Amino acid sequence: MHDIIQRAKSAVDQAELYWNRKHSISVNYANYRLQQVTEDDVSEVSLRVVADRKTGMSYAVFPDQEGLLESAIEGAKFGDPATFSFAGPGSYPKVASYDETTSKLSANDLIELCEGIKKRIQPHLPDVALNVGAQLETSELVIQTTEGADAASKTTSAAYFFGAPFKGAGIGVFKFDLSVEAPEVSDELIERFIEWYQWGNNSSTPSTGRLPVILAPEGSFLLLMPLLAGVVGDAVWKKTSPLTERLGEQILSEKLTVLDDPLRDKDPTARIFDDEGVPCKTQTLVDQGVLKQFVFDQRTAAATGGTSTGNGFKRALFGSGNETPITPWLACPVLQPGTTPFAEMVKDLDEGLLITNGMGFHSGNYPQGQFAVQAIGFHIVKGEVVGRLDKTMISGNIYQDFLKVRDLSAETGPVSGFLSTGHSPYVLVDGLQVAGK
Amino acid sequence: MKSTFAKVVSGLPATYADLRYEQNRKIRVVYEGKELSGVSTALTSGGHVRAYAEGGKAIASFSDPDRAESIAANTCAAAAQVGRSREKKLKLASAPVIEEDFLITPAKDPRTISLSEKIELATYYNSIILENPNVLTTQTVYDEFASRRIFVNSEGSVIEYELLNVGIFGMIVTKKGDVVQRVRFAFGGQEDFTPLIGREDALKKQIEKACALLDAEPAKAGIYPVVLDPSESGVFIHEAFGHLSEADGLQNNPSFRAKLQLGTELGKPILNVTDDPSIPGLPGTYIIDDEGVRGARTALITEGKLTGRMHSRETSAEFDEPLSGNMRAVDINFTPIVRMSNILIEKGDSTFDDMVSSIDNGYYLVGAKGGQTSGDQFTFGAQWGYKIENGRLAGMVRDINMSGELFSTLQATSMIGDDVEFGERGGCGKGGSGPMQMNRKSGKGSPHIKIDAVTIGGI
Repeated sequence: MHDIIQRAKSAVDQAELYWNRKHSISVNYANYRLQQVTEDDVSEVSLRVVADRKTGMSYAVFPDQEGLLESAIEGAKFGDPATFSFAGPGSYPKVASYDETTSKLSANDLIELCEGIKKRIQPHLPDVALNVGAQLETSELVIQTTEGADAASKTTSAAYFFGAPFKGAGIGVFKFDLSVEAPEVSDELIERFIEWYQWGNNSSTPSTGRLPVILAPEGSFLLLMPLLAGVVGDAVWKKTSPLTERLGEQILSEKLTVLDDPLRDKDPTARIFDDEGVPCKTQTLVDQGVLKQFVFDQRTAAATGGTSTGNGFKRALFGSGNETPITPWLACPVLQPGTTPFAEMVKDLDEGLLITNGMGFHSGNYPQGQFAVQAIGFHIVKGEVVGRLDKTMISGNIYQDFLKVRDLSAETGPVSGFLSTGHSPYVLVDGLQVAGK
Repeated sequence: MKSTFAKVVSGLPATYADLRYEQNRKIRVVYEGKELSGVSTALTSGGHVRAYAEGGKAIASFSDPDRAESIAANTCAAAAQVGRSREKKLKLASAPVIEEDFLITPAKDPRTISLSEKIELATYYNSIILENPNVLTTQTVYDEFASRRIFVNSEGSVIEYELLNVGIFGMIVTKKGDVVQRVRFAFGGQEDFTPLIGREDALKKQIEKACALLDAEPAKAGIYPVVLDPSESGVFIHEAFGHLSEADGLQNNPSFRAKLQLGTELGKPILNVTDDPSIPGLPGTYIIDDEGVRGARTALITEGKLTGRMHSRETSAEFDEPLSGNMRAVDINFTPIVRMSNILIEKGDSTFDDMVSSIDNGYYLVGAKGGQTSGDQFTFGAQWGYKIENGRLAGMVRDINMSGELFSTLQATSMIGDDVEFGERGGCGKGGSGPMQMNRKSGKGSPHIKIDAVTIGGI
């Protein structure tokens, strides 16, 4: 147990130490050229205390930094009454999240990986401005409390990305993946990148009106982020969530089952305990379209008379990390796949959209399930992709428009955009409002 | 500490190296509805090294100052490795050596005000919002960021400087039936505590709008002429144009670089845009950047033509354009990247009434609500709006987003107002080739403007 927890025992009612250290190496190529090598070694801590039955917080770089405990006590003088106790001893699940070999990779290994990606793409797309990058991170997280929690985890994460803007355009195609072990870049991913890039050589504006839309895995945050905002405990507690009174009701299509699954082996975003030291677990949020449960951290659980579901995280729509206050958040949303090959979904559409990203999502009223975004992706006409979307907005409300989901693909991929974790298949929605020609 | 760090960067095997060491204090007080959900102090410190060797570049962030020397040596070796693989070598524009300190002395210094006074102020504003029966919940945040930084480089610059921003901002959440609406407010956003005090009337106006929105109609999707208020057009010029004037984004994007040659006609002669860190009392005001270069006013668009760009020493050398002092890092976890300071559409000569009366069927968009860009594509939201019908403002609208393409939208900017206003809360997210950096030291200003056609998203 760290000294500061020992010291806190005599100074405050309760204390919780969160300590995190990250060592990362990354390399970046811009326009096919090696641009920069970055190596970071940073640590950060936060301390929460209950002093005189009130809560206070402070942050620093090292646990033994002067003023850490004193600042937290100072904050507690003004804090609201503590409504919960910090986590006690826990039994944490096991997940394969650390790989010794990966932790020893060097900048040279990452350069080799990126050179390999370059060599496989350059012959097909010699005159595009290809950006490639890879990052390796080893992170340690420790949470200790005066109540007896002593949680520790160690994770390796090896990630790569490659992407290029369409010629003369501001948008492009971007692919990435990450794993606990040294990544292998599949032929399928490279081929898909080349195919999609070539799809985007022309631009195309769809008709205005309701059109069927396929959300690619990377674009499925348009569904999952509003859903997250609806199931988190603070929105339920404050009744700002449109789902507050809808447990057990059909809120989405019966084709949709959504889990929060932090226990995926070899997924570097896996978590065995949350940022309050509460054990994580796999939970079904939506089962065949029926809302099954909400997620809580300790504070919102106490406020609503329940217990934490292990979903207290230092995350927010923008940013994450030490100074982000703990709030209920999904550890890793997973939309269960279907059986239809993606290529068949495209073939069946007379006119439709394939969406890879939605720009301006955060400025919409997404906590109520709504979105109105600039559509990034491709225009499909008579079963063929005819070009990248141009001058197109899509809008909708997930609790209305995702009641009618036609199909889910067998293929899955990582979610990106406004969600930093998650997995999804391609989702074909019956219709979204499109503002185009 | 200065001399220790100066020694670290002086004898390195690099053509250039610098080190920035920071000690930061962040105070945050958060109300969520009636609950004072957080009072926190963050005391963070750490260093960041950049090295150029053999035409390559490497960077490193570290927490432990005792490791500065070994990390600097490793960074030089990594830079040399990058350099050896590059045919085109990276170079830096020459910059004056500076040995001077730049400390901040605001009229009412937030660093000297007690925590209890800060909490009291947040409590006061929060309680005003909660008095309204339509208010479902609030978020009221007191936010103070004070940074003391040492910058040293291998050319002999030794600089100690401060950054300071303080503000109260938040969100008013109202509800009626199934309709929930959110309206933002922000006071301060600069180094002085004074503008945080006595803002009840401004807050009450925002509360009124959040209530009125409950009866507003959603916007109807389509292509329309619009008038943007100063807050919304400030975001437009920041998001859509400003980011494309940051040279690091263009450096490796040949097609945009070709489109954005100095002298290119981007808009009508009424359009003038500048970036200026020297205007006192704004969120993005500073003296020296995080690369040890003095911040300078840059005329980005003059009478419709592109006349300047924001630079780092590296991009200044590559583009052969003057230094501008725009290299900034949010905090110690990040490397400096090229960022706007205070971007501004200069005052024109149209009145607001002229603009509205020139539109038969369009929208008036009010209050920035965040935006996003990718190259020349932009999207952003408005907090509320009004329909414009037959030259007059008509009913209020909610849930309104606009999107478009930069170059055609600048050309379609047909009227510029005579009423410049700056936003009180700075803010900008940019990743560059690294992680997203949310920078509060970024100001935006503009008069009302009229754009002849943009795509409005809605039902």
